[in-house]
Amino acid sequence: MRTANRCLALASLIAGVTLTAGCATPATSVAMTATSATAVHQIGSDVSVAVSGGKETSSTGASQISDQAFAQALRDSIEKSGLFAKVSPSGARYKLTGFIGKVDQPLLGFSLTVKMEVSYTLVDTQSGTTLWTKDIASQYTAKTGEAFAAVKRLRLANEGAARENIQQAIAAMATLTL
Amino acid sequence: MKRVLRIGMLLPIVMLSACATNNATRAPDANLSKLKTFYVVRLPEDGRGIEKLIAARLTALGYQSASGDATKPAAPVDGIVTYQDRWMWDLTMYMIKLDIQIRDGTSGAILAKGEVMRPSLQRKSPEGMVEETLGVIFK
Repeated sequence: MRTANRCLALASLIAGVTLTAGCATPATSVAMTATSATAVHQIGSDVSVAVSGGKETSSTGASQISDQAFAQALRDSIEKSGLFAKVSPSGARYKLTGFIGKVDQPLLGFSLTVKMEVSYTLVDTQSGTTLWTKDIASQYTAKTGEAFAAVKRLRLANEGAARENIQQAIAAMATLTL
Repeated sequence: MKRVLRIGMLLPIVMLSACATNNATRAPDANLSKLKTFYVVRLPEDGRGIEKLIAARLTALGYQSASGDATKPAAPVDGIVTYQDRWMWDLTMYMIKLDIQIRDGTSGAILAKGEVMRPSLQRKSPEGMVEETLGVIFK
């Protein structure tokens, strides 16, 4: 009886620890920053970036992509690509807005695929004209080889989908003649 | 020993009885009041007819709506609706999460999105999940 109680105590403790051990962490801007492989056509003015539609991560929930982190990744990616002359905090010639319209995450699984959709709009702040608008879809699958803990795998899938999305946005904007 | 047993048993219960959440976000400058006609695109993986529930709820809310398998409607509409439903098993299958996106009928760009998550203890019927999600989007 005493041995059975010990086993039960140990099993329930392990179950509790297993469930609580993996606290969710948010997607980071560094991991979402796209590294442009090719040089892009430079738009000779500055740009400001604003993002909405993201979500904060709660430690007991799933990893999420926040507005701040995605906006920072977008800024850093634009700077790395050299697409605009400069990324300004505000008052720039162009304003790029991104609305995170969809982050489709699996609840369970070994290979975790996150599907993401962001609506981008580029506006000329001097004339108020919308120069470019595009809805970009991306996805990334994080496999068990990348991370054993599911909470980390989901974060990696989020970051991969966001990175791919930003990469596509920069490639699309690079074709603009402004 | 008894204390360890109690703590160990309590932790999973605390973790599995999460609260229900709902939220919605609109794209900057999105004006949903202009939308009068909708087309709901059936999710290819959905075999439960959630697209019909969404279309029926939109009709009940006073909009003109239709649903189907095609990604684009046969006739022009103001808004296209897409969704993702997630199901779990706890004695019976139940919808744990529903995401709905309202898109521009012409460009397909997402204008607004809403999501409802209801764990087992706060579960609702699929009709209830659809009603709650559309409710937060059009609030």
